[in-house]
Amino acid sequence: MRSPSAPEPSAIGSDLALGVRSEPVTRRRGLAGSAWEPYLYLLPALLIFTLFVAVPVVGTVGLSLAHWDGIAWSSASFAGWHNYTRALTEGEFWRSIWHNIQLVPFFVILPAILGLIPAAIVHQVRLKGTPVFRAGLFLPYIMPGVLIGVVWRWLLNPVFGLINSSLKKLGFQPPTWLGDFTWALPTVGLIGAWAAYGFCFVVFLAGMQKISQDLYEAARLDGANTWQEFFAVTLPGLRREMAVVLSVNLINALRAFDVIKATTDGGPGKQTEVVALYMINVFEARQVGYGAAIAVLLAVTTLALSLLVLRLFGERE
Amino acid sequence: MIKRSLIYLLLAIGVVIAVAPFVVTILSSLKTSIELVTGVFALPKDAQWQNYRTAWVDGHFDRLFLNSLVVAIGVVVPSIFLSAMTGYAFARFRFRGSNALFAYLLFGLIVPLQALVIPLFYLMRSLHLLDSLWALILPQIGLSLSFGTLLMREAFRTIPREIVEASIVDGASSWKTLWGIMFPLSRPIVGTLALMFFIWTWNEFLLPLIVNIDPKYQTLPVGLLYFQQRWTSNVPVIAAGSTIIFLPLTIVFLLFQRQLIRGITSGAVKG
Repeated sequence: MRSPSAPEPSAIGSDLALGVRSEPVTRRRGLAGSAWEPYLYLLPALLIFTLFVAVPVVGTVGLSLAHWDGIAWSSASFAGWHNYTRALTEGEFWRSIWHNIQLVPFFVILPAILGLIPAAIVHQVRLKGTPVFRAGLFLPYIMPGVLIGVVWRWLLNPVFGLINSSLKKLGFQPPTWLGDFTWALPTVGLIGAWAAYGFCFVVFLAGMQKISQDLYEAARLDGANTWQEFFAVTLPGLRREMAVVLSVNLINALRAFDVIKATTDGGPGKQTEVVALYMINVFEARQVGYGAAIAVLLAVTTLALSLLVLRLFGERE
Repeated sequence: MIKRSLIYLLLAIGVVIAVAPFVVTILSSLKTSIELVTGVFALPKDAQWQNYRTAWVDGHFDRLFLNSLVVAIGVVVPSIFLSAMTGYAFARFRFRGSNALFAYLLFGLIVPLQALVIPLFYLMRSLHLLDSLWALILPQIGLSLSFGTLLMREAFRTIPREIVEASIVDGASSWKTLWGIMFPLSRPIVGTLALMFFIWTWNEFLLPLIVNIDPKYQTLPVGLLYFQQRWTSNVPVIAAGSTIIFLPLTIVFLLFQRQLIRGITSGAVKG
């Protein structure tokens, strides 16, 4: 194998800018061209990716091992594992994690169920007009979290919001939802479930339509009823979709930020302060190293858990 | 058949719950504050277009909108361009280190923005790019490249080899083959990719929140947050501001529904 030689910088420029160089066809390699040609195609992307993604990631790890107020480099000092031990021994960090864990049923399980059951019914009776339903159901999923938060915040406003004024007309005494110590977190969770169930529906329905009809016919010949069909054919056929839905929802639960920033900003008190929000608050309080350590812990946990979900459901791929 | 209509009803309820908040928002954006309390689903008596004027002029949504548009274009166009180049390199060349470089670029798929946003702030500060649209554009190009590379590589791999070889025999350079043949042949995937880049960029919130403090360089999501804090009790104006954000998104979504849903559901694992 030939080793690639470093190209002249000027050659890179003219080559890419003009793009008119013609050269003899060589069939030894994957394509015509000299050995360094693929590297030229990669170079600009690699530069941007390295500078604005890879270097900051390394930077986060580096900062997590330091004490720094974020002002002058001279004020930074090596902290060792201190920021990590602080996070793991400090109640505030665990409290914020606990809030994320409490969001999991709402962000992960509830929308999966709310998507799966209607999808199974629609699939079973082969309903027409699903593109219209699909568009409507999917709409919240593409909206920015802040917008969702702002809209729900006034819908849930205890004084003039749609929800409470309707409930009061019906004779209920509704709580203040986002302002209530017990209700704030479940309410944020329900908003998350609302934003995700249409996505789950669309993914599951698409998955079901890929399952071979032969399997259903075979099940019917064996005398399976609708329920048995669902558990014996539909559900096992959705392994991949299940992996996607659960891991995406789980990632959203662990990284939850936008909706919460716009609805409660962590309140009332610290009742809805999730890890991502805690991290930003710590960073804004100029405890840069500690914030970075939380970022690392968040990234590693998210990665480990989503790999676990993919491993559990997606191993057939 | 009763069963069928019941199922339709169930689905319709699901759709109404998903869409109603947006419909209510549009309705409210055209009302007076008093109308808002009297009937939530009622149509406004006289459409209060000045709510939009307030948001657009006093709330500076004109500038926010323009910034969002500039950042979206500034991210989508170069990201497509660069993703085509990297996808092409990995799909059509065999070279030393290709697997390692591919894995390196794909690493961006699993890194959450939270894991890089703190150093990004200091990086932008040392580049003197804080409070500029560059601080939003450059990192988001970098973050787009992972998914873009993956998708474009797949797209180029499905193009029959003979087409590429014919072009080379004709004497076209690899550069010309990419832009003259491969790229146009992959238009559907390029379209899907562009839409997804657009939505990710349009919706991005954490990055602008951290790197841009001056509201002059803010985009719509953060702008809406500040706007909400300032106009807390004036719901019609907040609703108008919200509508300015979600209406373009809804139109794009409805126009390109198929590609978008396919793209998002296939690329859902992206961070």
